[in-house]
Amino acid sequence: MKYSTDYSSIEMMIIAGAREIENGQILIVGTQWPIITTLFAKRTHAPDITICYEGGVVLESIPDRIPLFTGDPCIASNSVLLNDSLDTLGMILHAGYPDIAFLPGANVDRYGNINTTCFGDYSRPKFRLGGSGGACDFGSLAKRVITMLEHERQRFPERVDFITTPGYLNGLNSREEAGLRPGTGPGAVITTLGIFRFHEDTREMYVDTYYPWGSIEEVKKGFQWDIKVSKDVKVADPPTEEEIRILRDEIDPFGMYLKNNKAKPISTL
Amino acid sequence: MTMDKAIKEFVRDGDVVYLGGFIQHEPYAAIHEIIRQRKKGLTGSSCAGMIALDQLIGAGCLDRVITTYTWNPLPKPAHAFRRCLEKGIPHDVKIEEYSILALTLSYFAGALDLPFVGTKTLMGSDLAKNSSFLGENKLKVIESPFNGEKVCLIPPIKHDIGIMQVQRADSIGNAQAWGVMGDSKYGINSCSTVIICAEEIVDTEVIKRDPGRTIIPGFKVSAVVEEPWGSHPSYVTGCYDMDWKYFSFYDKATESLDGFENYLKEWVYGVKDRSEYIKKIGKKNLDALKAKPWSGNPVDYGYCAQYQEDYVL
Repeated sequence: MKYSTDYSSIEMMIIAGAREIENGQILIVGTQWPIITTLFAKRTHAPDITICYEGGVVLESIPDRIPLFTGDPCIASNSVLLNDSLDTLGMILHAGYPDIAFLPGANVDRYGNINTTCFGDYSRPKFRLGGSGGACDFGSLAKRVITMLEHERQRFPERVDFITTPGYLNGLNSREEAGLRPGTGPGAVITTLGIFRFHEDTREMYVDTYYPWGSIEEVKKGFQWDIKVSKDVKVADPPTEEEIRILRDEIDPFGMYLKNNKAKPISTL
Repeated sequence: MTMDKAIKEFVRDGDVVYLGGFIQHEPYAAIHEIIRQRKKGLTGSSCAGMIALDQLIGAGCLDRVITTYTWNPLPKPAHAFRRCLEKGIPHDVKIEEYSILALTLSYFAGALDLPFVGTKTLMGSDLAKNSSFLGENKLKVIESPFNGEKVCLIPPIKHDIGIMQVQRADSIGNAQAWGVMGDSKYGINSCSTVIICAEEIVDTEVIKRDPGRTIIPGFKVSAVVEEPWGSHPSYVTGCYDMDWKYFSFYDKATESLDGFENYLKEWVYGVKDRSEYIKKIGKKNLDALKAKPWSGNPVDYGYCAQYQEDYVL
């Protein structure tokens, strides 16, 4: 096993996300980075995971080409269950089966609340986004929510403008007080800067892991509040050469996810 | 029935309109006809749509919207949707938003005529805190009378008219659809009047050979329109793929208000019907989108067909 010296921060994020997955788990998966992350895990260390999409799809194998979003026609002919949203969001997610829910996000705040609705005032937004889709259901119902996004400081405000997807709301027990089930909620936020987890009691996000080229100072600059750092803060292992080969050549051979990604290769940082 | 006649006869100004399909099955042919006939004051209800609502909003047909998500799948912004909610162009539209599960449950309640459904999703989110034209009736959080835990009650949403593209239907409206179905079965069954747009109208015998595929019985359907390629630029499983190039073109073409108006002039007002639109796309482009066959083994609906002498009442 040889560590790669030529990978991008996006590829590090995808591989860090995949490492959160254990073989045999049931996953409900949102669009964008979660798609490639979970298929990569299935191709490598977790071949027996089950992947569910919101529109009514259960996959036990990797589609012939990588889906561009969770409604992509290529998933229909590769699934083991193909029906509707009451199957996956209902009888799977609402019923409590998924071990992890993977989500993308526009903005994430101190308590893991996610905004994909709007910037500014909801009634007359400065910038309107697409909305929840199934994201609010993932965040409301899943045992462990992992959110993946490219790290830019403006995407990490102390408080999001609009809670599309509930995290721990205002911290402490506010999530349970709002009526959401105990034992559900954010487990990690994984970005191009590091892995961030949530304090057991305060429910506040903290720096758990940063990447081989990074530093704590640089990671802290990525947040609009003074984020706490774990006493046992870790540095992630870089991807191996084999992991990068599989990701590029087997999972995304046409570069549908990786060709245009903005992140610079690590060798240039 | 022709699309022109179906929309003229069954879609009235001010109606609450369900636009079926979950990514696939979106009824773009019908949407363009609604725009051509300059319908006004509609409420558009579409669970997780792409640019269907975007076009109707930009064309000024809608006053109210019920949805969970509206965006160009590239992903790029749905520009008319943005212009409307950010700047009130062409006029203010009120939007009521849920999550996919909550809205699907609401359609389910509408389809069964249930007073409400209870769920554990949505609570704590700002989707639950904000409401627009549904006001207090968007949802209610109560303590369950059974175990005291908090539960979110979602009301039924019913529609005056529902429109959806499907793979096939017979002439009386028994409609068959398959693939990713999302909310569609519950949405289309929550409508008082239904227009089915089919890729193909088939003999009832075809329906009867695989009745498990039917999503709505013919007696609930008011009009059947044969409209091949009716979901373009979206897809229909087993028929044709997403036209990503067209979504990319639409993104660039509609980014400015002038661009959007020109898009409508060229692609909606500028064509008489769907067959002209399809001609404009071109045979070569359409051929490239055609689905490769992936048929399953036919399922067997047989039974023994014998008199059972022990069963006599």
